[in-house]
Amino acid sequence: MALSSYFRSPPLVFSTSIILRAIFLLYGLWQDANSPMKYTDIDYYVFTDAARYISRGQSPFARDTYRYTPLLAWLIYPTVWPGRFWFSFGKILFAIGDVAAGWMMFRILKEYRKMGDERALKFASIWLLNPMVATISTRGSSEGLLGVFVTALLWAVLAKRMPLAGFLLGFAVHFKIYPFIYAASIIWWLDDTQTGSNTGSKPKRSKSLLDQARTFLNPQRVSLAIYSLVTFVALNLAMYAMYGWSFLEHSYFYHLIRIDHRHNFSPYNTLLYLNSSPKLTGLGSTTPSFELERLAFLPQLILSALFIPLALAKKDLPNTMLAQTFAFVTFNKVCTSQYFLWYMMFLPYYLPDSTLLRSGPIGIAALVFWILGQVAWLQQGFQLEFNGHSTFVPGLWVASILFFLVNVGILGVIIRDTKHKVLDDDVVPEKKRL
Amino acid sequence: MKQRITYIVKNPESFTPSQISVQNDAQRPSFTLTNVDAVKEHRLTLGLDELPKEISKLLQQWHELHIRWASDRPYAAIPPFTSRVSPGLHLFFTPLPSTPDDAFCAALHSFVSPGLKCASMGETAIKMPVLSERFRMSASWQYYAYLEDMEAVGRLLRGKVCGEAEGKGACEDWVRRVGEASYVDVDYDTISRTVVVTAVWDSDGEEGWNDTILLPSPDATVEIGVLNHESNADAEDIQFGGFLTVLGQDDRPKATRFQTPTRHYPLLLPSTSASEPPTLHPLTYTTSLNQPTGLHPTLTLTLPAQHLTPPSRTCKLHAHLTLPSYLFIDKYQFTDPLFLASHKLASLRSLSGATDLEAPDWVVQQCASAALFELVVPEPERIPLGPIASRLPEYGYVDDLASYKEVMPTGDWNVSISLHLRYLPAATRSHERVPVPWSVVFWACRADAGAQHPSNPFDRTHLGYEGLFGPKTRFMHVEPSNGTHMVEWIDVPVLDTRRAGWVEGGTVGVVVLAFLGLCWVLFGGNGNGRRREEGKGQGKKTQ
Repeated sequence: MALSSYFRSPPLVFSTSIILRAIFLLYGLWQDANSPMKYTDIDYYVFTDAARYISRGQSPFARDTYRYTPLLAWLIYPTVWPGRFWFSFGKILFAIGDVAAGWMMFRILKEYRKMGDERALKFASIWLLNPMVATISTRGSSEGLLGVFVTALLWAVLAKRMPLAGFLLGFAVHFKIYPFIYAASIIWWLDDTQTGSNTGSKPKRSKSLLDQARTFLNPQRVSLAIYSLVTFVALNLAMYAMYGWSFLEHSYFYHLIRIDHRHNFSPYNTLLYLNSSPKLTGLGSTTPSFELERLAFLPQLILSALFIPLALAKKDLPNTMLAQTFAFVTFNKVCTSQYFLWYMMFLPYYLPDSTLLRSGPIGIAALVFWILGQVAWLQQGFQLEFNGHSTFVPGLWVASILFFLVNVGILGVIIRDTKHKVLDDDVVPEKKRL
Repeated sequence: MKQRITYIVKNPESFTPSQISVQNDAQRPSFTLTNVDAVKEHRLTLGLDELPKEISKLLQQWHELHIRWASDRPYAAIPPFTSRVSPGLHLFFTPLPSTPDDAFCAALHSFVSPGLKCASMGETAIKMPVLSERFRMSASWQYYAYLEDMEAVGRLLRGKVCGEAEGKGACEDWVRRVGEASYVDVDYDTISRTVVVTAVWDSDGEEGWNDTILLPSPDATVEIGVLNHESNADAEDIQFGGFLTVLGQDDRPKATRFQTPTRHYPLLLPSTSASEPPTLHPLTYTTSLNQPTGLHPTLTLTLPAQHLTPPSRTCKLHAHLTLPSYLFIDKYQFTDPLFLASHKLASLRSLSGATDLEAPDWVVQQCASAALFELVVPEPERIPLGPIASRLPEYGYVDDLASYKEVMPTGDWNVSISLHLRYLPAATRSHERVPVPWSVVFWACRADAGAQHPSNPFDRTHLGYEGLFGPKTRFMHVEPSNGTHMVEWIDVPVLDTRRAGWVEGGTVGVVVLAFLGLCWVLFGGNGNGRRREEGKGQGKKTQ
């Protein structure tokens, strides 16, 4: 079949992915030059303005709504050079990052999922040939750039190159905060079975607490911790030394303390609006609020940084990272469609053996509900944003709760699949323990 | 106390000197005016010691203070009352080094309205932008609030201003009348240590003004002018003719004629002869909001294209907007030439105040933002005069070099300005109605001389936009079209708390249930037969 021979050729698939991005890029240039409606993402103007501030010796935070590490503005510094080509430098970089991430996905699928070229390419194409991924990077959104760092992190960990993994982890957390959740799963995963030091499995119960701690702190874990911490601290110190308080304020604290977001997919969105808005005075209709939204980080972090890594990491690292990211995004206080990219980069490892792909009805239902949830929300959002209908309640709230439940359902399937996968491999020790 | 009362007659042909008379009674000299259709300006100049202590103390906290209030009712702009500010209350002020930060808001709440948005001067007021440092004649801070009428303020002030003195009745009556004015200016500065209150009324009903003006006390000065606006050969001057009377000194109105350079000009039709009275230019503008407004309203200024010829080559059309804090402008939108061109904007020349691009209204402490846009005007179309047309007698002789004529396009010229709404607090209704004051539209032109404006008895400054231009600028004001209120209203969707009873419990309940459910999937159900079967099934397929 033509399609299967296509997927047997890495050069063909990678050329297609490059051409796809080149077309999108050129189309974007054309639309930007000819229409007042821009193809380029608003954020890209933020980055490039910030880079321009840097080129004038000013702080990137002089640009309103620049809430990223200054490294990002430095990374796309050539965009300040004259000409339309150089202005697109950042987008080209993000697109190259995309393809590089896809290449690493392909390698990981081949080496650590033991797939053949064709199968590996097919699943890597979920990322490589995904128009959504290509659009996001060529519009100039930096979310795609994260794909290359996180995929590189996964590869480095699987390849047991701890100094590199530690560096990448520290860098990714500095870049976007949320990858810190991966520290938990990687550390938990790096036990004796992975480090290869459990040549003779001795009875574990006789060990003292100190012994257990010593076993836990194997060289790989220590190395990852040290390298990632040093990288993270060094980058932050360097940025703090250069840009001072405004770096901490815009890159970190802003994301942590802000509670007044405009409407987005998050289930907390309506509640945050309700409780952050000043209370009505005089009308006596104020009901006491427990401000439970302040605890919203608890279910999110307990799941994504504690429970999921503990329960799943030793069974399958890429799947665990997918489940963690999925939980983090689903339970987040802000959720926009760019965040979906964060977990999309793990789908190629999970989908091949997933219920979603094996069981037609479940897979199709999940996809349909996921899309319907978004459509319902977007329809309500459009009514609010452009027609001025007050759809906050019940419309938007119900839509975001439904979308949340759809995501929780999918997350449940992912978790169950990951658990079972290992149940099969580990049937014997499981029985021994019982 | 000095008073200056000026009537600018609207239709000079309908006015005769017999409509005004002076009764120079030694006890109580008075001036009477019958059925005069005119715009009236009443200017009161008071020394600090003539004011109630409370007010005098309040004023002395400021280096300078300029209050501008304009009604949203349209009024005829007869020269010299041609300059405008957006409807609402504008304050321009400079504090003394010793002024406490809370003095401003305390004064605003006790003298204007307790409901006005004001946390502290530093947080709420806007730092005035100054594009031309050399021309630093503006105050350093600005405050704006949309205040529909002055009635409530008048009620509040009557007690404080008029006190219990013998002239209480007349004083209260005057305060009430000021509340009905088209616009009111109050100016104070530490150098003159005087307060000047100026109120302008468009007209007094169909009958015109029937006023009897008395000299309030022997030591007071009352000067009354009844004037016509006249044509003048010098484009940079405006000229008036009519009668002046100083109460108590003059036995009858004295004829007068004078001309003065000015900062603000009416937009007039080019006059054909000096003897004819000047006529206002037909260029007017209206403001509307594109429907539906949603959360991103677009403000459209509509002008007749055929009248958009610049009055002189140096003139550029501008719009100055003052937006309450719930509306904001994203300055980054106005950098793209294609975007600007599609909205008929040349550039965003200045933007100050509340410009945060994300924060909801209750987080924004600043009261407002102010923006100055330069607008694009239509290019005249060059209609070639073909061989037949050139022979037509109406075109006369046309040589090859100028074988076309320039014609302005017809129809509406729509300039649009994209705005964004902030979230407003949740309320017991689905929408909150908020006002959007009209902008001020004018041609800014180069003046040949750095004008001697202080010599102009009607000079008006501190309008929020003169400081954005150089000193040699003439402002030719475009009139808002008649018959509409100069304010638009937007229904902003808000979270309706009447329907939000379930939101807190529902959200928390769903999240907790989802969390527990996922924990159960993660840790529970071990040894569940059905699952293991499924697991095995999967395993088989993989193998």
